[in-house]
Amino acid sequence: MLTINNLVKHRGTVEILSGISFKARPGRVTGFLGPNGAGKSSTLRILLGLDRATSGSALINGKPFAELHNPLTTIGAALDGFGAHRMRTGRAHLRWIAHAAGLSRSRVEEVLEIVGLTNAADKRVGNYSLGMGRRLGIAAALLGDPKILVLDEPVNGLDPEGIRWIRTFLRERAESGNTVLLSSHLMGELAETVDDVVIIKHGRIVADGTLEEVIGTHSTLEEAFFALTSESAGGVV
Amino acid sequence: MSVSTSRKITPILRAELDKLVTLPLIWLTLMGTFILNLVLAAAFTSIGLQGAAGTQSILNIGLASMGYLQAGFIILGIIATCSEYTGGQIRTTLTAIPWRGLQLSAKHLALAIITLPAAFIIAASGVLYTFIMMRDTAVVAEINTMIKTLAGAAGYLTLTTLLSAAIGALIRRTTPALVVLLGYYFTVSPLTRDSLPKYFPDTAGYYMYMPPSSNEINALTPMQGTGILILWTLILIIIAIVFYCKRDA
Repeated sequence: MLTINNLVKHRGTVEILSGISFKARPGRVTGFLGPNGAGKSSTLRILLGLDRATSGSALINGKPFAELHNPLTTIGAALDGFGAHRMRTGRAHLRWIAHAAGLSRSRVEEVLEIVGLTNAADKRVGNYSLGMGRRLGIAAALLGDPKILVLDEPVNGLDPEGIRWIRTFLRERAESGNTVLLSSHLMGELAETVDDVVIIKHGRIVADGTLEEVIGTHSTLEEAFFALTSESAGGVV
Repeated sequence: MSVSTSRKITPILRAELDKLVTLPLIWLTLMGTFILNLVLAAAFTSIGLQGAAGTQSILNIGLASMGYLQAGFIILGIIATCSEYTGGQIRTTLTAIPWRGLQLSAKHLALAIITLPAAFIIAASGVLYTFIMMRDTAVVAEINTMIKTLAGAAGYLTLTTLLSAAIGALIRRTTPALVVLLGYYFTVSPLTRDSLPKYFPDTAGYYMYMPPSSNEINALTPMQGTGILILWTLILIIIAIVFYCKRDA
């Protein structure tokens, strides 16, 4: 369970997040939507202990990230970018993460197999395509076989086959009782993957509910999104 | 140190060692420094061979390249910490190891473990070359003095590497960190050497491996030099850790 409670973040004089609250529940894929600069990545960064909140809390099973006993086995995260040094090989990157969490080398081979990177594991990360980089990020997130996954724009840069793979993969994770939170701006892809939707705009939550609730009277999630995030829109669904 | 902290430190240290060992830039820097040192040792030896026989010390000539050699170790330290900020690796590091103070301390420890033997081998290779070339013409130091001096040189280079890593962690970007440190060591310090006291990292650290000349006043002993450089390094590491813990990644 992920619980974001009244989160506020100031950067200089700018308020990035203005008291946002939502939950991501076990057994469900929660889509975190918003235009660029709405505060999606800032929220995820605070949740993962990378940035400090000005006030409010972001908790994982009731605890802040830094208080988790073994974070990799509790929550797996893949943020934007590769998250790896360009000169290191994919396998070497996963191995140092595994060592940090006291995981075996065989687990590294397992996650490489899961994301389909075994044949490219000895290539330097700098030579990876965008899609391969995303797969490497997901492999790192899966290393500790965590019950919670947090993915920032996971389908960005993936080819249609990759998008289908990740959609199936995330559904399977949620159906086996795991919590999945993913941010995205690709509505079409998201509508087929998520159970719950949270929409953020200018650092405020403008919609929070099941997919059906958020779509409401609109014909698609995309239409609901534009209606909720256009400049004239306001209020919470 | 609590039990849980000591239990955490072993996997973190292993991960940090892994990161250093699997980064080709680290090996390229060490190999480049080794080769540069041998070239410089050859040049200083060649000059030494033209001097008067019996008046020169093999140790002094073999370690004459130290001033230049330290550039390689400054680069090594900066790469160790600034490489975290390439490709967004810092996010992976902090989601795997969210205990920031412990993680940055482990990184410095891992860097010391790799640097100390490398620095000893590199410094010794220069002295060994000079010894082979000049053993008939120069004064050969006693083995004890030789080992003490080389240990001092390796210690100086290791502490300089750790200090550079701390500055790298504070600045977070490779090029500005290089400009600051190389600018200090190769421009500011040489220009102000005569006017400022000998308590700066490089000027105090110099006495770790170079015996003071008899006509020098206010010279430090090797122990004083070591103490002052350790103090500088620790203070900078602590400042780096405080900022690392307080800042957004």
